[in-house]
Amino acid sequence: MVAVVTAFSDGAEHESQRIARALRRRDSEFIGRIVSQYHCRLLRYLVYWTSRREQAEDLVQETWLRVLEHAEQYDGRLRFEPWLFSIARNLAIDHLRKQQTATHRMCQENEPGVDPPAPDFESPFFAAARSEDAKRIAAALGALEPIYREALLLRFQEDLSLAEIAQVAGAPITTVSSRIYRGLSMLEAALGGGTDAA
Amino acid sequence: MPLDSHEKARCLLHRSLVEGISLNDRHWLDAHAGQCAECARYADLSARAVRALDWFAIEPDPAAALRVENIVRSRAEEMRSAESRVKSLWIGTGIALFLTFTGSAVTWHALAGLASQWNLPSRVWQIVFAAFWVLPSFLLALLPLFRRIFLGEDSDSKGQTI
Repeated sequence: MVAVVTAFSDGAEHESQRIARALRRRDSEFIGRIVSQYHCRLLRYLVYWTSRREQAEDLVQETWLRVLEHAEQYDGRLRFEPWLFSIARNLAIDHLRKQQTATHRMCQENEPGVDPPAPDFESPFFAAARSEDAKRIAAALGALEPIYREALLLRFQEDLSLAEIAQVAGAPITTVSSRIYRGLSMLEAALGGGTDAA
Repeated sequence: MPLDSHEKARCLLHRSLVEGISLNDRHWLDAHAGQCAECARYADLSARAVRALDWFAIEPDPAAALRVENIVRSRAEEMRSAESRVKSLWIGTGIALFLTFTGSAVTWHALAGLASQWNLPSRVWQIVFAAFWVLPSFLLALLPLFRRIFLGEDSDSKGQTI
């Protein structure tokens, strides 16, 4: 009877609570599994933010280390993904801010022989684009500001609710939905332009 | 067909993708799209735009993924052992404090009892009580000095060889 009850409670236990407990206990086996499980999604999210694959890969590692440091803050009552993405987001913003400051400083100093990093906004998307339509969408995604790309990704690929996206972005739901509408309109315009041209 | 109905259709179409719409609105939208080729084309375009996001699958590098996993796992283990050391330290401190207070009270009463049995002046047993606490620490503090004098160890030179 006890075994049945235990099995039932184990089965009923929410995944997010299991993650929260593993993080608090520093259960390296379980943590290793979730790192592997979320790696692809976290990498994609950070690529959408930074537009640079190498930076995104560095930030994935930093994100997990920060997750470990702040494990006490996650109690498992809400889904894990929004919390994970909000940590990744903060790191990506800090990183972009530092990069912008460095670029600005280099431009101001106008040092001979030192060029600011070349814009590389389309490369990860162009790298994945196979067809003409995909290239048009890649260009549109590259032209979008990261906050719009982020909103589109979280809504349509991560399937997060508007409330969860608002939690990640630290913005009101109305702001988040308007970002999604705007991003979607830009993608439609990119595809529509191609269709018309064809 | 009034212009407003096309605007309403586009608005509902976006809302259906972003936040969902009611069943009535869904019926209205389907009916409108069935009659209006322009809005049907727009609906198709919106669906394609959303599907298009799936084209940009970011293929993870398995070696990089494994490296991150190993780094995070070893960091988790480091943190767990560090936290367990801190926990042991707190437990040890708690036990030490408890023993200090209870030990002091027991020793005080025991020495007072013995002193009254042997008719010793209170000053004597109080000095013994003070010595009971101070002497071990004093001897421990002298230990490095003894080692240096009798064993000839030189802590300064030891520090420099590292």
